[in-house]
Amino acid sequence: MATESPAVPSGPAAPSFPIARHAFRRFYTNYTARTVLQAIVTIWAVITFTFFLIRLMPGNPVEVYVDFLVNQQNMTYDEAYSRAASQFRFDPNVSLVTQYVEYMGQLLRGDLGLSITSSGTRVIDQIARFLPWTIFSVGLGLLISFTLGVILGTIMAYKRNTAIDHALSFLASVLSAVPNYIWGLFIILVLGVQLNLFSVGGLRGNYDPSLQPGFTLEFIGSVLKHAFLPVLIYVIGSIGGWMLNMRNSTVSTLGEDYVNVARARGLTSSRILLAYVGRNAALPMFTLLAINIGFIIGGSVIIEELFVYKGIGSFLFWSITQRDYTSMQGVFLIITISVVVSNLLADLLYSRLDPRVRVSGGK
Amino acid sequence: MTDIILQVQNVSIIYRSPRGDVRATNNVSLTLRKGETIALIGESGSGKTTLSLSFIRMLPNSARVTQGTILYTRDGVTRNVLELSDDEIRRFRWSDCAMVFQGAQNAFNPVLKIRNQFADTAAAHGYRDKAWVKKRTLDLFKLVRLDPQRVFDAYPHELSGGMRQRTLLALGVMLDPQVVILDEPTTALDILTQRAIIDVLKAMQQALHFSIIFISHDLALAAEMADRVATMYAGEIVEEGPVDEMFYRPLHPYTLGLIRSIPKLNHEQDHLVSIPGEPPNLITPPSGCKFHPRCQFATEKCRVDPPTLVEYEPGHLAACWHTDKVIEARPAAVVQG
Ligand SMILES: Nc1ncnc2c1ncn2[C@@H]1O[C@H](COP(=O)(O)OP(=O)(O)OP(=O)(O)O)[C@@H](O)[C@H]1O
Ligand SMILES: [Mg+2]
Repeated sequence: MATESPAVPSGPAAPSFPIARHAFRRFYTNYTARTVLQAIVTIWAVITFTFFLIRLMPGNPVEVYVDFLVNQQNMTYDEAYSRAASQFRFDPNVSLVTQYVEYMGQLLRGDLGLSITSSGTRVIDQIARFLPWTIFSVGLGLLISFTLGVILGTIMAYKRNTAIDHALSFLASVLSAVPNYIWGLFIILVLGVQLNLFSVGGLRGNYDPSLQPGFTLEFIGSVLKHAFLPVLIYVIGSIGGWMLNMRNSTVSTLGEDYVNVARARGLTSSRILLAYVGRNAALPMFTLLAINIGFIIGGSVIIEELFVYKGIGSFLFWSITQRDYTSMQGVFLIITISVVVSNLLADLLYSRLDPRVRVSGGK
Repeated sequence: MTDIILQVQNVSIIYRSPRGDVRATNNVSLTLRKGETIALIGESGSGKTTLSLSFIRMLPNSARVTQGTILYTRDGVTRNVLELSDDEIRRFRWSDCAMVFQGAQNAFNPVLKIRNQFADTAAAHGYRDKAWVKKRTLDLFKLVRLDPQRVFDAYPHELSGGMRQRTLLALGVMLDPQVVILDEPTTALDILTQRAIIDVLKAMQQALHFSIIFISHDLALAAEMADRVATMYAGEIVEEGPVDEMFYRPLHPYTLGLIRSIPKLNHEQDHLVSIPGEPPNLITPPSGCKFHPRCQFATEKCRVDPPTLVEYEPGHLAACWHTDKVIEARPAAVVQG
């Protein structure tokens, strides 16, 4: 560790606040303190950036609503304007800086504010209402594609350069090259509309609205049925990447000394597969998985919109079209926090799984 | 003879490669007795690793054993290693014949503690008694002069290279194998650590009576460890004999050349003679004696006729048409004490 001896003064200002500087350095070299500080700075930066960015988008909530009233309800512009202004808690004439200061003050008190366009609804309640559906559907998709991808990738690596490997590699490349909303469109248009294999309209929403939510078989069945296609798309869209990553990781692990030595030690092939090859090859996969958790929300926007699945993604989409600044801001905050947290999780997980990077107690 | 453990007969091995078959081992025979140490010496590419990998059937997929038998005897039962079933060969590995690979810096699984890697080796061979496994492990750590408690619970990365190599040696003899193959076991280590490993190895052999196949480019080390020495050239054993015979009275010009090229601290530099030329291409090896293009004694006969191993002294064999010329040339070149 650094000694207490004072460093050579590097500039005229350097020796002025030795205690403060020292304290800051002490604070900054503490791993936990540094991580938390970095997380807070990241979150603040993203909030600020998105705050101004979304307000730079053409139109504001009032204008969007006025447009809607004028075009759809045949109101006059003035009528529509006064109606919109009275309904929304939004005054376009307040300066951006004032809005920003007000918003940050609210956030510091842990308040995400009220929705602009759905008057009286708290943003936090909206998020609480939609987020679980997205976590459920995207999380399930992630879990399935991760598990299948890791298994298939291992098979490909063990059978490398055989017909099975070539076929699966080709499949994985195709799957990961095509964006997931293309698969979504394909399923809706070809399987649903053209071939009529399922009723597109019947699968709207998160469950059959005629059912009472609860732990009944019927309700759970309906939930699974409505989530099936979005989950399928999430699996199709990400399994290729998992397969190829796991294949490469396993191939390089198979070339490691310790795998060869394990064979020379007469270990059974199942023990080698699980504890020697699998364990080491999967290490980077778990880090990727943790990072991917952060993208659950962002990745759901288009697919939820496409399948009319009422999750946080389609809520974000709706907020954007309505220019509901506070709602958008709330979702962006959740996205940022989940990305930051999942990265922390990845670090933590890696150090749990890999003894070589595990932090050893004191030093 | 009853004390023969490993009898290798006429083994030939090729590697399939895009440019043709590499004849890495050609018609090699070798006999290993109980408690004996045989050193394999020879230039890089002479086939030492290939030959010894075949003893535990760990050759890469591109390799084929095209002929020969490898007979292994334990408790009066003799089996051909090349004909063992997959499960038999798995059990044969490590419990009968352990091998320390050349250049295996990471012989241990980085995510498992050392003790788990000892335990799973034992378990793979049917040793289920946990208390016995633990005691055996700790005893072996003492034998290789490691701090038992510290190493037992350590992860591989917490040990130095020298400690890891000792740990591997301890693991190597855990199941009481009759044969231990050591392929360049000390090359990655500094000279003092090398010394320590060699001492440990000798102590282990004294305690456990296993036989060693020792592969090394360090001839002084080979001379110190071995009872018998075999010189390999271009995939063939060209000379084999007791260690003193080999180093003081070599019969093959290639062995003579190897000995001459050892740098000696107490000698003038001009005594250092390297062997001219390059090791041959094993896809299209030279005709006759494979060493003839580099041999100072080569005649027309050597170009045409491949010599076979002939016993000149008891237990001392050489494959050369002109051993008499080697004998004439050697007084100036033999190893000094
Ligand atoms: N996997 C392989 N494919 C093709 N040829 C190979 C392969 N492994 C070894 N060889 C060739 O077989 C011959 C013998 O190699 P081997 O590794 O057995 O030599 P060695 O005596 O152990 O050399 P070194 O002292 O460098 O370890 C060499 O010509 C080498 O090029
Ligand atoms: Mg070798």
